[in-house]
Amino acid sequence: MNHKIVYLVLTFIGTISFSSCEKEIKIDIPASKQELVVEASINQLSINFNYVILSTTLDYFNPSLSLNAVRGAEVYITEGDVIGTDTLFDVANRVQFIDYVDTIFPGIYLSPDFRGVAGKPYQLEVFLKDGRSITGKTFIPEPKSIDSLNFWFEPNNIDTNVFFYMNWMDGPEQDNYRLTLKKGFLPILTGWGTGTRFYTLDDSQINNQPRPFFNFSPYKYNDTLHIYLATIGRKEFLFWDSFRGAANNGGPFATPVSVKSNVSGAIGSFTGYGLTQRSVIFRKE
Amino acid sequence: MFLNFPKIIVSLASFLIVNSLFGQNIFISGYVKDSTNGETLIGATIKNKESTAGTVTNSYGYFSLSVPPNTTQLVCSYVGYQSKIIQLKGLKLFNLQVALIPENREVKELIIKSDRLDKNVKSTEMSRIELSGEKLKSLPVVFGEPDVLKAITLMPGIKSGGEASTGFYVRGGGPDQNLILMDEAVVYNPSHLFGFLSVFNSDAVKGIEVIKGGMPANYGGRLSSILNVNMREGNNQNFKYSGGIGLISSRLTAEGPLQKGKSSFLISGRRTYIDVLARPFIPNDLAGNSYYFYDLNLKLNFILGEKDRLFVSGYFGRDILDFKSPTNRAVNFNLGWGNSTATLRWNHVFSPKLFSNTSIVFNRYELFNDFKFGAGGFSVRSGLVDWNIKSDFTWSPHAKHQIKYGFNYTFHTFTPGILSGSVGTTSINEKINKQYANEYALYISDEWGVNQRFSLNYGLRAVAFQLIGPYTQNEFDNDTGLPTGKTKEYSTGQTIAFYPRLEPRLNLNYLINEVSSIKASYTQTYQFLHLATTSGAQFPLDLWVPSSRLIKPQMARQYALGYFRNLKQNQYETSAEIYYKPMLNQIEFRPGANLFFNQNLENEMVFGEGLSYGLELFLRKKEGKFNGWIGYTWSRTTRQFDELNNGKPYFYRYDRTHDFSILLSYQINKKWASNFVFVYGTGNATTLPDSRYAYRFGIDPQTGEPLFVFVDRYSDVNSYRLPAYHRADVSFTYLSKQTKKYESSWNFSIYNIYNRANPYFIYFLPDIESQTVKAYMVYLFPILPSVQWNFKF
Repeated sequence: MNHKIVYLVLTFIGTISFSSCEKEIKIDIPASKQELVVEASINQLSINFNYVILSTTLDYFNPSLSLNAVRGAEVYITEGDVIGTDTLFDVANRVQFIDYVDTIFPGIYLSPDFRGVAGKPYQLEVFLKDGRSITGKTFIPEPKSIDSLNFWFEPNNIDTNVFFYMNWMDGPEQDNYRLTLKKGFLPILTGWGTGTRFYTLDDSQINNQPRPFFNFSPYKYNDTLHIYLATIGRKEFLFWDSFRGAANNGGPFATPVSVKSNVSGAIGSFTGYGLTQRSVIFRKE
Repeated sequence: MFLNFPKIIVSLASFLIVNSLFGQNIFISGYVKDSTNGETLIGATIKNKESTAGTVTNSYGYFSLSVPPNTTQLVCSYVGYQSKIIQLKGLKLFNLQVALIPENREVKELIIKSDRLDKNVKSTEMSRIELSGEKLKSLPVVFGEPDVLKAITLMPGIKSGGEASTGFYVRGGGPDQNLILMDEAVVYNPSHLFGFLSVFNSDAVKGIEVIKGGMPANYGGRLSSILNVNMREGNNQNFKYSGGIGLISSRLTAEGPLQKGKSSFLISGRRTYIDVLARPFIPNDLAGNSYYFYDLNLKLNFILGEKDRLFVSGYFGRDILDFKSPTNRAVNFNLGWGNSTATLRWNHVFSPKLFSNTSIVFNRYELFNDFKFGAGGFSVRSGLVDWNIKSDFTWSPHAKHQIKYGFNYTFHTFTPGILSGSVGTTSINEKINKQYANEYALYISDEWGVNQRFSLNYGLRAVAFQLIGPYTQNEFDNDTGLPTGKTKEYSTGQTIAFYPRLEPRLNLNYLINEVSSIKASYTQTYQFLHLATTSGAQFPLDLWVPSSRLIKPQMARQYALGYFRNLKQNQYETSAEIYYKPMLNQIEFRPGANLFFNQNLENEMVFGEGLSYGLELFLRKKEGKFNGWIGYTWSRTTRQFDELNNGKPYFYRYDRTHDFSILLSYQINKKWASNFVFVYGTGNATTLPDSRYAYRFGIDPQTGEPLFVFVDRYSDVNSYRLPAYHRADVSFTYLSKQTKKYESSWNFSIYNIYNRANPYFIYFLPDIESQTVKAYMVYLFPILPSVQWNFKF
């Protein structure tokens, strides 16, 4: 009987080693309709997150892995006021964003004069040379303070794994969150894409209680971690939540995900962030 | 839509009674069984030898036949058994016990029966296929594991969801539109191993029946098909043990009489040992991870007397996945799911003219998920529980009429999700409100042999679905999806939604001559339960959701027309069927919908229509040394949703223009038997991105390089076709030892003999060197040999 068992085991191993393969294939996808893309970000804390990026879509197999930038557009952001149930935008408060770094990074529009204010509404207007335009509205919610941040080292594994959790108070408002983590010694982010981990947190069900966050992926002893906790509006949350699904789409049972844009005339988002930043070094006192 | 049910039923019953009149014939009733083990035989033919009148045994092996008083002989036949001539003189005509002797292998090779089965030509049934448990076990299989759900996809009109899926698609319907019954208990999730295998242990399966159209009135609840899996009853003559050792699992079955000839038991278990076999090869950092499944079938069968039989059957199965993080030993993930069913059935023969079965069925599908980490943990529970009672009566008032009527009541409890746990000092308790529902059905049908050539089966099924309280209905804003804070409370038993519906059924058969007929059928069905899934396969995390105020019942009409012809003394069955099937209130989910733990799941749904039509050709040789079938389907299946694909119709994911399958079995000699399978199917329709854009921009402060991710953009739904699916398999069964008391055999299979790379999925990766995106196709099973050892003593 023993030889039968050995045979079965060997066959099993052989079977597993055979399984699941892949190969490159050629796919013919017809040309697509080009669309505008906008990524507009404002906040009340740091000028590094105040920018508007304009680009277009590319055919899927287009031989380019760069941002297909849109140059020479007129970009304005206007701070508004909420009076009763009305939101008013005065052209006097209009600030132009200009592509200062066009020669190095085309498509990025910045304004050193712009400062976001928590609680204020904002309007985005983009006018392209070809007559197309993009508009959008957002507001900057009040930022949250991180009430506690704890970390610990995995037992008997002091040189390797560190974990942390933190919480903040979630009020009665519809405060959704976007959380970005950045590991490294530099305390600044030059654009949200510089982060190393991204989370969107829904606030549709949780109110008036501490909001916990636990990170399952480990850090190392002595790592520096910068935490950017941003409060965002509902429509902005819906965009970033759908973006998370769209950007991580793949695998055998993936279904097409379309982002839920909160701007008109383009794919993308105009997001106001009520931003809190905190840094921590994972080190024993 | 809601008509006066009682009035209609009474009118129909009156019509049937008046129509039936009183005949002069005598009635003979009884059971047909296997002479060696006492197992009843389903679908055995009983005929009056002096005429063409006949009937077949029902799913309990029972028959009732009306014959003229001067009848002297009956003939009973069944595939794989020697036909038997029954001399009626001196016999008691009530509770006749017909024991058929199985053909042994030598006889099987040589005998060509003169009196072949011609049920497929003469009955009003169409779009129906049966397969025995023995046949299932002989087919070529992956990992040496015979599988019911893989086998039925070799039949025309039934399409596989793919190699890693037990989901099947019948005439354009989704996998949730098939009613899967195991001894009358609904199986909500029929898969093990994330869809690679089904929950049906081949040792415990007596046979299966698939009804894909012309659905009789005693079935309902799903739009597309019925898969009836009948489990064996157990040997009531001798104690027997059987089992098998395969590459990934082993099976063991024990059966025997509790009281010889009167009662029996069967217990059958199966467990995978992937976890045990793989353990020595798993690296240390992954030690502690395991996956396994097991299932257990139990059946008790009691003959209480001439008129009563009692069956108790149960199933319990679980899949367990344990995961320990290699980077953090404190992180532990435990996922489990499974079905539990229990069925109590009571057969009662009131008279040779009236047979009844009453069943009480409990079934539960549950998912449990425990997640622990250093600072706390979560526990998630979800599932569905049904309590069901049903009674079915078969009444034969006249030689030309067989009337079936009955009722069915189910109480459903849906538990979409309960989450409890803690992070640090913060505790979290959330739950999606439970839902409760009553589902009722009342039906009546008449099988009417109008004359020698024309027969029909007409019936009506009245169904109703009632979603009831207690329930707290949260209101949500349509634009933002946010709760408005308003709720509506429903008290216990209070109706939230009520859907009464009528389902007329009609099957016609015109016998052109003794070997050919034309059949037509019309079926209208409603479905009140819907599977919440965004993928084409069925997963353990998928939820069943009931019809509600917003979610209307799905509905389908199916028209089918077929030509049936038997050749060479019924050795060969051939058929050609066309069908046309419009479907209403079909459900899809918005792209990117979040289905897990979503209080507002209804808001993620979109509703539309479906249409399927096609032609199915089938040639089958049921017996002899060389047997098998060839099936071909040409079909088209589309969906149309106002909110998807800009409102334009699109191909359903499993639309398959051409689908072709061959199964050939050949008994080489006394020791060796072989099977060959070939399948071909047009590639699945899928949605691929047509453009992309860069987003979430940043500039690396150290290198100055831009950072972003590419996001895919989609336009037309399912406008791309994956490459065609085709493969050939062979299997050989070697009977290594056969004595009166002991039998052992080996089954050797080679799956995908010409190593076809069939698409599982496609993914894309940016290639820095060529500065473009490349497409890759993943395929699962290349050529795969497997072996299984089976024994019986």
